[in-house]
Amino acid sequence: MEAKMQGSAGAEEDMLASEFLTFTLGNEEYAIDILKVQEIRGYETPTLIANAPAFIKGVINLRGIIVPIVDLRIKFRLGKVEYTPFTVVIILNIAGRVLGVVVDSVSDVLSLTASQIRQAPDFSGTFDTKYIVGLASIDERMLIVTDIERLMSSADMELIEAATE
Amino acid sequence: MSIDMSQFYQVFFEESEEHLASMEALLLELDVANPDLEQLNAIFRAAHSIKGSAGTFGFSDLAETTHILENLLDRIRKAELVLLPEMVDAFLQAGDVLRTMLDAHQGRGVVDAAQVQAICDRLRQLSDAEGLAGSALAPPPVPDPVPGAADDEVAVRVPEDTGRRLFDIQFLPTEIAAQGVGVDNLLDELRGLGELEVVSAGKPGAEPALWEIRLLTDQPREAFIDQIDFIADNGAWRVTEDTAVAADGTTAFGFFPSCPGTPDEVRGYGLYATDRQETDAYGFFEPLPPVTSADESAYGFFEPLPAPANTVQEEEGYGFFEPLPTPPAMPETGSAVQENAGFGFFEPLPMPAVTEAPAPAEIVVTPVASAPDSSPSTARVEQQKSKAPAVAASADSSIRVSVEKVDQLINLVGELVITQAMLLQTAAQMQDTAPESLLNGLTQLERNTRDLQESVMSIRMMPISFVFSRFPRVVRDLSGKLGKQVELKTTGENTELDKSLIERITDPLTHLIRNSLDHGIESPEKRLAAGKSPTGTITLKAYHQGGNIVIEVGDDGAGLPRDKILQKARERGLPVSEQMSDQEVFNLIFEPGFSTAEQITDVSGRGVGMDVVRRNIQSMGGRVEIDSMLGIGTRMTVRLPLTLAILDGMSIAVADQIYILPLSYVLESLQPAAGDIKTLSNRARVVQVRGEYLPVVVLHEIFNLQSQWQDFTQGIMVVLDADGARVALFVDALVGQHQVVIKSLEANYRKVPGVSGATIMGDGHVALILDVSAIAAMARSNMQKAAGSADEEM
Repeated sequence: MEAKMQGSAGAEEDMLASEFLTFTLGNEEYAIDILKVQEIRGYETPTLIANAPAFIKGVINLRGIIVPIVDLRIKFRLGKVEYTPFTVVIILNIAGRVLGVVVDSVSDVLSLTASQIRQAPDFSGTFDTKYIVGLASIDERMLIVTDIERLMSSADMELIEAATE
Repeated sequence: MSIDMSQFYQVFFEESEEHLASMEALLLELDVANPDLEQLNAIFRAAHSIKGSAGTFGFSDLAETTHILENLLDRIRKAELVLLPEMVDAFLQAGDVLRTMLDAHQGRGVVDAAQVQAICDRLRQLSDAEGLAGSALAPPPVPDPVPGAADDEVAVRVPEDTGRRLFDIQFLPTEIAAQGVGVDNLLDELRGLGELEVVSAGKPGAEPALWEIRLLTDQPREAFIDQIDFIADNGAWRVTEDTAVAADGTTAFGFFPSCPGTPDEVRGYGLYATDRQETDAYGFFEPLPPVTSADESAYGFFEPLPAPANTVQEEEGYGFFEPLPTPPAMPETGSAVQENAGFGFFEPLPMPAVTEAPAPAEIVVTPVASAPDSSPSTARVEQQKSKAPAVAASADSSIRVSVEKVDQLINLVGELVITQAMLLQTAAQMQDTAPESLLNGLTQLERNTRDLQESVMSIRMMPISFVFSRFPRVVRDLSGKLGKQVELKTTGENTELDKSLIERITDPLTHLIRNSLDHGIESPEKRLAAGKSPTGTITLKAYHQGGNIVIEVGDDGAGLPRDKILQKARERGLPVSEQMSDQEVFNLIFEPGFSTAEQITDVSGRGVGMDVVRRNIQSMGGRVEIDSMLGIGTRMTVRLPLTLAILDGMSIAVADQIYILPLSYVLESLQPAAGDIKTLSNRARVVQVRGEYLPVVVLHEIFNLQSQWQDFTQGIMVVLDADGARVALFVDALVGQHQVVIKSLEANYRKVPGVSGATIMGDGHVALILDVSAIAAMARSNMQKAAGSADEEM
């Protein structure tokens, strides 16, 4: 199932380069499909949700919509978790839901073709590789291309009730 | 005719459902022994409307069944048949069958053909069976007597009673025509040809709706069908000649806007468009009818001819049937003629407002006394208004809008309110530096937004009669089944509440009523033995109280047996004691699987249980309470917020967070003294409030926050009433009181225990709304964990 999904996605990307938004978490650089990104905004202190996991920072008011905020640095235990005026929240639109992801910084937007994305080696344990589409090298940088939709709708994130996995 | 009408089906379904509902309500209201003609007419109208549109849309099964139904109704209405209880039953059954058909057409369920056949046969049989005597006297649609009779005296004044024909015209205007002046132009043109009655006007708005008009003209149909074809959507029109109507249908064009209470001018004038009658029409609507009009019409039915004046007024302001040859001309010929005449004119009309004929004697008296032969001014119209049947009212002056659109509007207004509050706050921070004009403008904005919010919210408000109206049927059916005599009394049907609540409250209320009927009201024998009237009463009452709507379901039945409930609870292993208050004991019946019924009847055991009732009501943010006295009766009180979109809240602070408590749960708040707090088993705490020990819920403990207070005496205890059980919620401070717009947390996140939703505060921050019932339940489970057996001593 997983392979099939990647396969079909790959076929499309062979013909057409897709654009990815890259951001950093600690020293790592991630890339996500830009079509999932709704907007990028500065960090504002969210309203705490009681008894929620630590990486769920709370909810903010995004023009009248209540939007949960996830800090991926806490989730992935990466970098120093601090909130500065430069801390960035990427607002994603995933499966009809709106949510925000706190990252250290947003780098740029890149076009990647499928051939540029290589299969990630299988690390069992540390980071769940099922959310990684592959790795891409641009110059000296290594980008971790992530299936953000899959990640965010996973049961791990505790964002969605009765998540499918 | 070959256009695809399916796009209008939804409108048809909705309208037919409404007609069925109003028909049923009227049937149940009907006094069988002495039926009110106005009601019979209204029922007939409803049936006729269904038949008409069913025919247009090609649902022939519906049309046929309604046709048979209509025939019987018509004969009753004309007093050819005497209304019998069996007929009402048959009508109700027919209504059910029609509803199944409607459902089936919408893809829900199937129609039982045998059942349809059975009801049709039954209706036919009822309609053929009796009343031969009546029909002999007054053969139904015989037009002859009228002109014949008229010829004697008033032929001169009836202008052209030959060669006139009545056409039933139905059309769906094109979208452009409906929105623009196309339809108006058409109507004007038709008015030029003869007399026009708009039976049902299409509603202005996005979706074109079916127009139904009647034209009485001496012109052939070719004279006008072209115009209709031009306006109508791709051939969606139909013209049928109503041959049954007498040539003198003129007079039938009285007062037939479907909204009898509001004879708006435009419509009124439309009806009297033909020159000669116009004068009378104006006369009617003007306080003082011009003298010339009386002269012209030569009848002077407002002139001191006693008999005509009576008759005219008797007809409740349908007096402008003035050119009618019948009543004034031959008062002495008596009711037989009058009946005939009336039928001749009105029988085929869908909205026959005037068929008073069958009972002339009684009606004549009152109006004469109340309104002597003076000018039939606005007073007359007003009287009519008050007599207008509530059911038929307000049909035409409404538009159909999807709930989605309304919700969007409500959301936007909610945003506006928040923005407005933010602006106000910013201005307040500017203090003296803010220019006065800005402050004035902001004050104005605040007022306007508040008004806007109120009126937008009121769009969603509907009278609770939408729910209540179905209960007479429920009671009727059930009491018959249970062999009990029950009367249902309703008050406050016009109390309004949010549409979404209307939809959701129906099932719980139905169950409460069933419960009252089954368990509450005793059998007639038992009631007599107890010295009560054999007929039990169920009262259904709705009213506003604060920001809530209160719905009471009361019965004068046996009351709840406290002992039995306690015993049952013990059997089920529930923690109960003799010391429990009545209220607490009665609340036990809301526990899952709890039933005091000695035997399971067809009625209970069906539908939802009382626990589901309570859960449903709670999920709407409401509460249900029981009062009961053994032998006297039981009263269930349901309290609901008026709307699900806005909540009266109290903001409280815990640590650095602000939470909103729904104000409806808050009883009081107090600062406890050191000695008021006691512990149970050193873990659970209770606070003494006026001699009563209430469990303490420490919010910062539940939510794992760092409170600024460790000492209870420094914070505030808010006493909450959560489903009849009181708890004290410990918070850091009270902040204020707000009306908050409820936002879903689940739209983008998930359900959070103890939180029912979120809102946006004036500063743009999100505040969570606490779910008091859930918090109290958390506290209870904490108590049970902590106190164990000590619980019982409480």
